[in-house]
Amino acid sequence: MDVNFRKIDIDVYDEDILHETELYDSDPRDPSQVLSDARQKQVAVRTALARSDIVGALSSILDSPPYGPGVDEAKDLTLQTLLTILNTTKAAEIPGVVKALSQDEQDTLMKYLYKGMAMPGWGDISGSVLLGWHEKLTEIAGTGCIVRVMTDRRLV
Amino acid sequence: MAPEIYNLAQSPVSSHAFSPDHSQVAVSLNTNDVQIFSKQGTEWVSTDTLSEHDKLITSIDWASSSNRIVTASQDRNAYVWQQTADADGKIVWKPTLVLLRINRAATHVRWSPKEDKFAVASGARAIAVCSFDPENNWWVSKLLKKPIRSTVLAIDWHPNNVLLAAGSADMKARVLSAYIKEVDERPSPTIWGSKLPFNTICGEFTSPSGGWVHTVGFSPSGDALAFASHDSSVSIVYPGSPVINIKLPTLPFVTLTWTTENSLVAAGHDCQPVVFSGAQDGWQVVGSLDDTSAAKSPVGSKSGYGGSPTVGRLNAGAFATFRDADSRGQSSIAGSGSGDTKLLTVHQNTITSVRPYEIHGGQVTKVSTSGVDGNLVIWNTDEVMTSGIASLTSRLGSSQIR
Amino acid sequence: MSNVLRPYLAAVRSTLTAALTLENFSSQVVERHNKPEIEAGGSREVLLNPLVISRNENERVLIEPSVNSIRLSIKIKQADEIERILCHKFTRFMMQRAESFIVLRRKPVQGYDISFLITNTHSETMLKHKIVDFIIQFMEEVDKEISEMKLSLNARARIVAESYLTAFNA
Repeated sequence: MDVNFRKIDIDVYDEDILHETELYDSDPRDPSQVLSDARQKQVAVRTALARSDIVGALSSILDSPPYGPGVDEAKDLTLQTLLTILNTTKAAEIPGVVKALSQDEQDTLMKYLYKGMAMPGWGDISGSVLLGWHEKLTEIAGTGCIVRVMTDRRLV
Repeated sequence: MAPEIYNLAQSPVSSHAFSPDHSQVAVSLNTNDVQIFSKQGTEWVSTDTLSEHDKLITSIDWASSSNRIVTASQDRNAYVWQQTADADGKIVWKPTLVLLRINRAATHVRWSPKEDKFAVASGARAIAVCSFDPENNWWVSKLLKKPIRSTVLAIDWHPNNVLLAAGSADMKARVLSAYIKEVDERPSPTIWGSKLPFNTICGEFTSPSGGWVHTVGFSPSGDALAFASHDSSVSIVYPGSPVINIKLPTLPFVTLTWTTENSLVAAGHDCQPVVFSGAQDGWQVVGSLDDTSAAKSPVGSKSGYGGSPTVGRLNAGAFATFRDADSRGQSSIAGSGSGDTKLLTVHQNTITSVRPYEIHGGQVTKVSTSGVDGNLVIWNTDEVMTSGIASLTSRLGSSQIR
Repeated sequence: MSNVLRPYLAAVRSTLTAALTLENFSSQVVERHNKPEIEAGGSREVLLNPLVISRNENERVLIEPSVNSIRLSIKIKQADEIERILCHKFTRFMMQRAESFIVLRRKPVQGYDISFLITNTHSETMLKHKIVDFIIQFMEEVDKEISEMKLSLNARARIVAESYLTAFNA
């Protein structure tokens, strides 16, 4: 007789509970493709930055970001690339750049801003840069953008 | 014509429903009882109290032709109230038992268009569709359970008395069939489907960013479904076409109602009703019913205690500052400033319910809203302020930051 | 460094306003119960993504929203040992009187110094924008208080040491 029955986690066997993965549509691409997409975007961003095309760089990196479980490397890569773009933009240009983005891209940018602030290692990220972008983005996209970051289960 | 504002109480109004002739309104003031207010002159006076529930009443609906009130509460019960004459000949409201058979709180209740059934949304991941059983003089229910995975937050009936839209906390808005053999006759086919036995799913919709669906509503003809979800967006569904999703820069909406086939009013955490209009090819925001640009009191001028705000009202700004510093020990030096407490909108807190008030020729000309601030306001749907919906928060936020 | 304070507080303010969209929600797990879902944590779909706003490594704010409650945790800047002790004592003082604070939580979340729990009853009885003002003001004041306490502590220590050691000087 299995005397460990008291230690069984019965919530695991409860069929009625909603799991995290059921709450959103998962990424249709498979992990290796996501990673290669992310690498391609990194290259595209570098060329765009060389031309000082900030809006183009941001649009390409924010378009269909990697999300969900299993694509951590792609997520890190995308975040690093995005942070380089943010660091190289001058403060006066930020409002113009943000206005040029579409609503979906603004939401994704906000998600990355919060992700950047949550990261413990502060090597190449500056608090003032992220907060400056956050302030400008909130002014333009409104608190609705922040609400969407909170409700959207597709974590970047 | 300016909106008519009635302050019913200092506590939130959880739900309100007008009587058919608009002379009475049944409200729940965040308590276990329903208060019926009657209009006397320009004020609403409480004339009746219906107590039967043990816990907070979450929703009330008043049937216009049969003059019955249905109430649903967090104590897993619902009651149907009818006006009868009691022993002394006085007209009182008598409750009739409803066998809901749910084991969690009821969140929302609505009479069907023909008023022979009503549907109760509950936290038991089910919707109870109730019809009257004359043999035992009670209301019996059939439960719609199948695809629902979480609390149902709102429901709305289709004009054909059979289809039901449900918004739930599992991020989906669904259209289900609530056809009860004993009560309904076979419905004619609609664009949502034909041949609809009980608990058929006619459609399941979601907003791209997810978010609990706070409210759903069928258009007056039943050919379109609108729902507002927590990701600050309003979605309109025309079956067969992709979902039209409008993302907003404001806080989420929690309630909506259609005014015509091409326009609707939504309200929520932003404390002002907003009008949307459009057709199958696209929808957009038209404006707000609330005039937030006029500074009704010296709120906008943050010149501190040295400034000179509006005339009249005893120089309210300066007077208020020193009066507060003297009697309440608040000084506007240290922080937020005393003039800032009142919001620029009519409602001071979230609007929880918007319902059609007056209908002329198939179009809703007035809507009534009630909110967490205890106010009941009646708006004219024609007076749309298109000066852009300035998000309250940004205005307050910018005035706060020094 | 102080030019980061303004956008930091602005970010906290806007995130808090977005999170304070609370409504009454009866428990799905236990009948007839109405608990703050962020504390009960029973149903995953009712909780939202937690957000962090940080000014630098040592100062951050964690906001965990849900349908009927939010939990806000603050990590206060503590540069040296004295500030760490002072902060600990100060927050302990406040947390022991959490009842009168109404929105304060008796224990901070792991990794933070002080936590607030704001539920839908609070947002119904109090004005939401004033709750946000209160939290922002709290964040500004706490730093000032701890600096003041540190200064007065050092001043007092100096006076005590002087008066003690003059006895040996004469």
